[in-house]
Amino acid sequence: MSEAAYFSIQHLTKAFRRIPAVNDVWLDIAAGERLSLLGPSGCGKSTTLQLIAGILRPDQGEIFLDRRQLNGVPPEQREIALVLQKGLLFPHLSVGNNVAFGLKMRGVSRAEQESRALAMLDQVQLRGFENRKPAELSGGQAQRVALARALVIQPKVLLLDEPLSALDASLRSDMQDLILRLQEETKVTMIIVTHDQGEAVVISHRIALMFEGCLRQVDTPEILYQKPEDETVARFFGGVNFFSADAQQHRLRLPGGDVLATDHPQQGPVQVTIRPERIHVILEPICSTNLLPVTVTQTRFTGTQRQLTLATPAGLELQAWVPPSQNVAIGQAVFAHLPADALWSFSHSPSATTPVPQALSP
Amino acid sequence: MTRNAILFLIVAVLFLPFLPLIIWSVARGWYFPQLVPEQWTLANWSAIFSASTKVTQGFVQSLVIAILSTGVALLVGLPAGRALGLLEFPGKGAIKLFLLLPIVVSPLATLMGIQFVLIRLGLSGTLVGVVLVHLLPTIPYMALVLSSVYANFDTGYEVQARTLGASPLQVLWQVTLPLIAPGVVVGALFAFLISWNEFLLTFFVGSGRVFTLPMVLFTSLQGGNTGLTAAIAITSILPALIFLLFSSKALGNDAAIGGLGDV
Repeated sequence: MSEAAYFSIQHLTKAFRRIPAVNDVWLDIAAGERLSLLGPSGCGKSTTLQLIAGILRPDQGEIFLDRRQLNGVPPEQREIALVLQKGLLFPHLSVGNNVAFGLKMRGVSRAEQESRALAMLDQVQLRGFENRKPAELSGGQAQRVALARALVIQPKVLLLDEPLSALDASLRSDMQDLILRLQEETKVTMIIVTHDQGEAVVISHRIALMFEGCLRQVDTPEILYQKPEDETVARFFGGVNFFSADAQQHRLRLPGGDVLATDHPQQGPVQVTIRPERIHVILEPICSTNLLPVTVTQTRFTGTQRQLTLATPAGLELQAWVPPSQNVAIGQAVFAHLPADALWSFSHSPSATTPVPQALSP
Repeated sequence: MTRNAILFLIVAVLFLPFLPLIIWSVARGWYFPQLVPEQWTLANWSAIFSASTKVTQGFVQSLVIAILSTGVALLVGLPAGRALGLLEFPGKGAIKLFLLLPIVVSPLATLMGIQFVLIRLGLSGTLVGVVLVHLLPTIPYMALVLSSVYANFDTGYEVQARTLGASPLQVLWQVTLPLIAPGVVVGALFAFLISWNEFLLTFFVGSGRVFTLPMVLFTSLQGGNTGLTAAIAITSILPALIFLLFSSKALGNDAAIGGLGDV
């Protein structure tokens, strides 16, 4: 990890009563980047955020922002703004004074406080709400004010702790769009904590996946979907197809037959995965490679897709998600095409057998 | 209809004891079997302003002592209430019980010891001494009221304010105090009234040199001047009424009640 990164977390460690909450976390974030801290509840992602904000003191490790070491710097001097799940607008202040709060603490003149707060309210489409009290706002409006209040002080880093999880599903995508638009306008470096992988994928440039206090994999959403480092990561991103295989150069020896894969770094016994939406189900063997003869054992219609369970004669089970227009019957003999570039393998690891605490599927 | 009748009855029962008091204060003699006095006078009311009755002096001393005790009780009660309301630590239950002791144990039982200590410190018969003993009953009430206020307080607001650039002192003034204000007013009201009405502790520790309104009232009651006593009694109720009206107006009735939390 280089010290030149705009924001850098090094060897960050924190325990509560000897139970590690954050365990040796290293993370570099570029200026203007949107990064998600993703993981099941209790994995230490919120603790990491509080360590960054300076609300908690780390047991070990260092945090650097723009070449400045932040250890021992109180939260009010870090230039890091935090938006919490509940919004926590100050109930005794008007919306306008809530937004102007950070400016007032910095001794900005009243006239400037007012003009900047109003401009910020404009950006979150709440101009005209400045004289209302927080109790008069809806949940979505309150969260937008909280966002405006954090951004008006022009922080170097914006931290969002589950900002959308208290909102209705319909409001959530609007808020996601707003957060993305505001980030693109302000170019603020953003770290967002979430347990919802769908949200993390939409919002972030990179996702840092965290399990039990440790970072498991930090990559772009595409890589996390297509090339997970192990079964736990794959399962967290909705992976359902896992089988043992023997890798020999470009050939994977599966129970149901041999397939070719373009991308498998390991040789010998490996764990193979393929995303269910990448499997094609065809009725006639048009091509000869990477085809497995299978029987349809179960179909589920979800509205946007048909989820098929397929079984090879050798007993291998596959999940394939096909377009709803493709109608197949239970018991029908078809062929599963596993594209060579969709197969991904990793070595067997002891952690691969442990179940994910809270696996979410999209 | 019945609701209004019950309300009227409650007000009447509460107000009735004051009626003879008011009549006495403006009567020139009021004896059985007169239903109302035959002669009226404002002499008692003008007497309370004269220096010889010591009413004004007592009023001012009471006010100073009550304000000082309330202020000190707040300074002790705010951090104590925060610790009791927000933190978990071993022996918390014991400390709460310990705080209640001055209310549970009669001041008569402890007065000898207190007086002995205050004499040694040279504080007996001084205003400071009286303020100190008034803290005995006021601090427990203040700490307990504020602990339940803090128990319902979300410290997330303080965290939020810090990350927005507020120093700990700014957080206290701009966020914490405004948010717990209803509870603070209720606690202060309690402390003020306890100090204002305190007689026994003042009587002993003040040693006759600190002369508060309850003592003026007591002396007048012993002197047998019923009209003057009635006027002093009414005077002694006024600050409490003003404080109550002011606070309920400033906070709204709901806030004043809500500030009590689960006391």
